[in-house]
Amino acid sequence: MKKWELKPAKDLGLPATERFRSLRRESGLVSTGMQLAWWSMVRGYMAVWHRLQITGKHHIPVQSPFIMVANHASHLDALVLASPLTWRLCDRIFLVAAGDVFFETPMVSAFAAGMLNALPLWRKKCGPRAMGQLRQRLLEEPCSYILFPEGSRSRDGQSTGFKPGLGMLVAETSVPVVPCYLDGSFEAMKPNQRLPRPRKIRLNIGEPVSFETVANQREGWVQIAETMERRVLELAPRRGA
Amino acid sequence: MSPAARDRLFGFSHAFDNPVTLVVTLVVGSLLLLAPMLVWWLAWTGRIDRKMKSELITRYWSWLVITPLILGPILLGAAWTIVGIAILSLLCYREYARATGLFREKAVSAVVVLAIVLRSFAELDHWYRLFVALVPFTVGIIAIVAILRDKPEGYIQRVSLGVLGYVLFGSCLGHLGYLANDQNYRPILILIFLSVELNDIFAFIVGKLLGKRKLAPNTSPKKTVAGAVGALVLTTLLVMGLGSFVFRGTVLAGPGYLAFMGMLISILGQFGDLMLSSIKRDLGVKDMAATIPGHGGLLDRFDSIILVAPGVFHFINYFVGVGADQSVHIFTGG
Repeated sequence: MKKWELKPAKDLGLPATERFRSLRRESGLVSTGMQLAWWSMVRGYMAVWHRLQITGKHHIPVQSPFIMVANHASHLDALVLASPLTWRLCDRIFLVAAGDVFFETPMVSAFAAGMLNALPLWRKKCGPRAMGQLRQRLLEEPCSYILFPEGSRSRDGQSTGFKPGLGMLVAETSVPVVPCYLDGSFEAMKPNQRLPRPRKIRLNIGEPVSFETVANQREGWVQIAETMERRVLELAPRRGA
Repeated sequence: MSPAARDRLFGFSHAFDNPVTLVVTLVVGSLLLLAPMLVWWLAWTGRIDRKMKSELITRYWSWLVITPLILGPILLGAAWTIVGIAILSLLCYREYARATGLFREKAVSAVVVLAIVLRSFAELDHWYRLFVALVPFTVGIIAIVAILRDKPEGYIQRVSLGVLGYVLFGSCLGHLGYLANDQNYRPILILIFLSVELNDIFAFIVGKLLGKRKLAPNTSPKKTVAGAVGALVLTTLLVMGLGSFVFRGTVLAGPGYLAFMGMLISILGQFGDLMLSSIKRDLGVKDMAATIPGHGGLLDRFDSIILVAPGVFHFINYFVGVGADQSVHIFTGG
């Protein structure tokens, strides 16, 4: 017989506001239900308003852990990236989001935590400790992340380069990293716009890469970031071709 | 819906028909007014230090919120009482599920939550057979739903935790809600809540004053034999005193019956407390959650009432019947 494993919630005993911001947060029945409702709505919206076209869906791993990375040009990007995922992954997949945007006020962080299942990354102080926690969670649970290695939205639609933080999560592990290219989201919602326009969005998903042999140190992280940036840009549609 | 049923469910004009309801409401209300003055006086005269004062104030604020939340629905009507107990059951189950890790089994958890909702409907409808049938049905459905993922590892654990969750917070706690189907439910529920809470306080005070021998040092290091016996005596006396007014005119008003009921409340209350301590020790957590400042989780406060509820319910039901003269199937008809 298998031994009983009684594992209390990792965020047990945290007050609500701290829970939302905690990297250890685990969804219960209520938040999972809200997330399911939210993502179904998002999927419908993407299909109708942006006529979302997805290619390479089969590249997404069936089981956690994995990380989806993409170029970042609009607030719509995370919603687009989560669209092709099956509902079974719903409470296993976390959006790694900027703490100073999504977790500053209690109302916004309740939305980010409850609906988007987002985990905060504080850009000014995302030290090795936070990255270590994210890496540990990725491997132990296991879970999956959606993240944008550029660190922030591009202001002009051009890539601003991948940061090596991504490498700190996956170096020396077999976790597959799925490159994705988002096309059209910048035109649909530019940084200064408040509401999205009904522009077509395309999502190209590439073959996953894992970095078992890349050393878990500075050079390795940079190498991983460069590899993934190249893989993502390769997926860009050739204009005028 | 008959006028009598409507009146019991939603009418608060009869809230203070029984003197016990009125007296307890007044006494508890005035205690809540006087308590902060007492704390300030104790601090002012230097009898308690600053740390103790801030702890007492935190606890006072919690009681100031909890007391109206318990008393309000009971006074307002049976429907509010049943809804209140439903919310209490769901929140207690949530704490239990998060502490045991059962919340990760979303399907099992969903079954327990639905069963608690359905149980509350059975209470509102005054449908005793459904209320009873829900226990084996829920056990069966949990056992079935836990198969569906086709992952036998951990099957016994997720089924057992789900069943225990429903039995404790769905079934046991639900008996408080079902009691609201009695015309005389207000003083009965007030008697239960008051004597269970005071039972804890009696055990604490008597233990502090006279306690030497530990009751169960591995389970709950602070409890003493003297505290347990003191609470048993004092709670029984309290129930005998108040109970003679609550059950006036029925066989239960006899001193023998009331003494038995008092002992039942005291013993089951203390075991409920020890049960939650055992669960917490087994899990290795200090509090079940951080819901109420100064108390921990809701379960840390309402643990003592879980086993008392079915005990008192069936004691009353056996001798005089619960809601025997009330219309049944209020919403479902027939």
